[in-house]
Amino acid sequence: MNQLPTAINFRSNTRQVPPQMSAAVQKATAKFLGNRAALVDALGNDYWQVLRQAGHDIRLHAITHIAHYLEQAEQAVTRAGGQVHWARDAEEARRILLDIAARHRVKLAVKGKSMATEEIGLNHALQAAGIRVLETDLGEYIVQLKGVGPAHIVVPAFHLSKEEIAALFRDKLGVEAPAEAEKLTQIARMKLREEFLAAEMGISGGNFLVAETGTIVTVTNEGNGRMCTTVPPVHVAVVGIDKVVPDWESLTVLLKLLARSATGQKLSCYTQFISGPPRSAAETGPAEMHLILLDNGRTRILQTPECRETLLCIRCGACLNICPVYNHVGGYAYGYPISGPTGVIFASQILGPKIAGALPFASTLCGACNDICPVKIPITRILLHLRRRVVEGDETEPATAPASLRLGARVGALALGSTGLYRLGSRLLRRMQAPFVSVGWMERVPAPLNRWTMSRPFPAFAADFRQWWRGRHLKARHE
Amino acid sequence: MSRAREDILGKLEAAGGRRPGAPPAPIPPTARIAPRQPAGPETELTQLLTEIGRLNGVTRRLANREALAASLAELVRAEGVKRATCWTTPDLEAWGVAATLQRLGVEIVPGHADKQRVASCELGVTGVDAALPETGTLVLMSSPERPRVASLLPRVHLALLRPVVLRPDLHQVFAETREAGYTVLISGPSRTADIELTLTLGVHGPKSLYVWVMDAV
Repeated sequence: MNQLPTAINFRSNTRQVPPQMSAAVQKATAKFLGNRAALVDALGNDYWQVLRQAGHDIRLHAITHIAHYLEQAEQAVTRAGGQVHWARDAEEARRILLDIAARHRVKLAVKGKSMATEEIGLNHALQAAGIRVLETDLGEYIVQLKGVGPAHIVVPAFHLSKEEIAALFRDKLGVEAPAEAEKLTQIARMKLREEFLAAEMGISGGNFLVAETGTIVTVTNEGNGRMCTTVPPVHVAVVGIDKVVPDWESLTVLLKLLARSATGQKLSCYTQFISGPPRSAAETGPAEMHLILLDNGRTRILQTPECRETLLCIRCGACLNICPVYNHVGGYAYGYPISGPTGVIFASQILGPKIAGALPFASTLCGACNDICPVKIPITRILLHLRRRVVEGDETEPATAPASLRLGARVGALALGSTGLYRLGSRLLRRMQAPFVSVGWMERVPAPLNRWTMSRPFPAFAADFRQWWRGRHLKARHE
Repeated sequence: MSRAREDILGKLEAAGGRRPGAPPAPIPPTARIAPRQPAGPETELTQLLTEIGRLNGVTRRLANREALAASLAELVRAEGVKRATCWTTPDLEAWGVAATLQRLGVEIVPGHADKQRVASCELGVTGVDAALPETGTLVLMSSPERPRVASLLPRVHLALLRPVVLRPDLHQVFAETREAGYTVLISGPSRTADIELTLTLGVHGPKSLYVWVMDAV
């Protein structure tokens, strides 16, 4: 993602989704879910549930005592020789990073896949300052060449065919590129290898931040994460404050949950633990290490008890994979780098209802996400609160829904809450529907209700239940 | 910048209803899990090698120094190795890895040399500080004798492992690594499925991973 979103119109975004998207999405999600299910089976579902509870409890403990653990992490990183910076918002985080880059006269930066840097629109800011910044995860590299953002948090370019990628490589890299995954990967390896060796700065995110030792944990498969944090002379990690965990023992739980839930691997290929810069000049690795702790609205999420558990997320992507809405529209419709159920609850709060008021409604509330989440985030419960926030407002945000929706919701609540009004309403509706009904269905109704019938017919209102029941009762007595 | 720190911590303390400086509640016991129970040493080793094989690593057990020298000669031929970089830990020195490679006509590049030169090596040889049978994972630490780039930049990574480094679970590994400055867990060669979900090895890290068990050496 090059620029931060303005207002997100989920409904109109879904109309831009290319027809091949949902097939590509479902192929990927089915594969990940299948791999995951096999590993959960191998562990036994009972043990998996114990792990999930432990994951939930350790993450909830961490964010409940987050100030304590962040201070502990800050001290530990500093003791290890790293430099800690605090960023209240995206703007501040970008400024801190640009300052570090300017001090080292950075012209080229390489970057590992990181949702926090997507969130702050870092690439755009670096490029505006005349610094070349390269995404190095293969999928991110491809979508960056294409000039778009990630369509999935684990496999960002899964919606592009190898033919499209080959054409992109020929066009942007000026190389002969056959449409074969193996060859295309080799081209990316060769191109990026030169950049890794030339870069003056490596930028990473962090999957976890261990408070007791100030350790940044990164989980990757390709090795680009290792390159970014090992080869360039300066390493900057941008980590959301919610990533903190108390100790290494917490990782014994979370690492077992993360890769299994994400890609269906027992562990990802490379899990790195970085505590400050190398301890002696004779060691290889970046001489300077910076940690930027990013708030950007996370403190506000913690202020609403109903929504607090949003921050338990470990970004595995399992809820994207299982979500019926995500499986049909893919990532771009959400208008934010983190998509799917977890993206919805996160972005709605980080961006606020004025920008992201449509997102809490991009869900069927089926609850599959709650059941698959490895840290048991009650996603639909949070979604309901966020819908209420849009319509009625709460202590953090005023209502932003159009007055008509608010009025409609209030009338609906009134009618459903009173027996008399309900009966009157149902009688009226049955009268009013008569001109539109044909054989038990309404094919077309007047605006604004026609939004429903644009895509499918609406069943006609049946007879009043009480009337029907009375009639049945009388009939039974006559017989 | 310290304003930002005070602002963030202040808001967090207000949200958590916590007095500044107060210690956190103890971590609930339900947030902890017991480590896996190991089988016997031979079963554990077999499981480790099976798992590494599943992750597309190539394993071999070596009985003595002569077997190591012969296997190195075979590897140099098969992978076309002209330059190599090696850890210089006591184990690798005692096994004479660098000396054997030199006798085979391979140029040894120190891990601390210019990164372009290290990147030009076809082979990186390392030891293993711990290993996890359940996941086929190698644990490598960092020190002046253990350059991080040796398991990262060359196209081929050869890891020499002594059976005593096997650990039952992450708990035991972390007890040894938590104070370290840098640790990496390696499970198979570098991989991606980013293009049409086709598994492809050797994206940025090594394309081939060899793990040789130094049984009684």
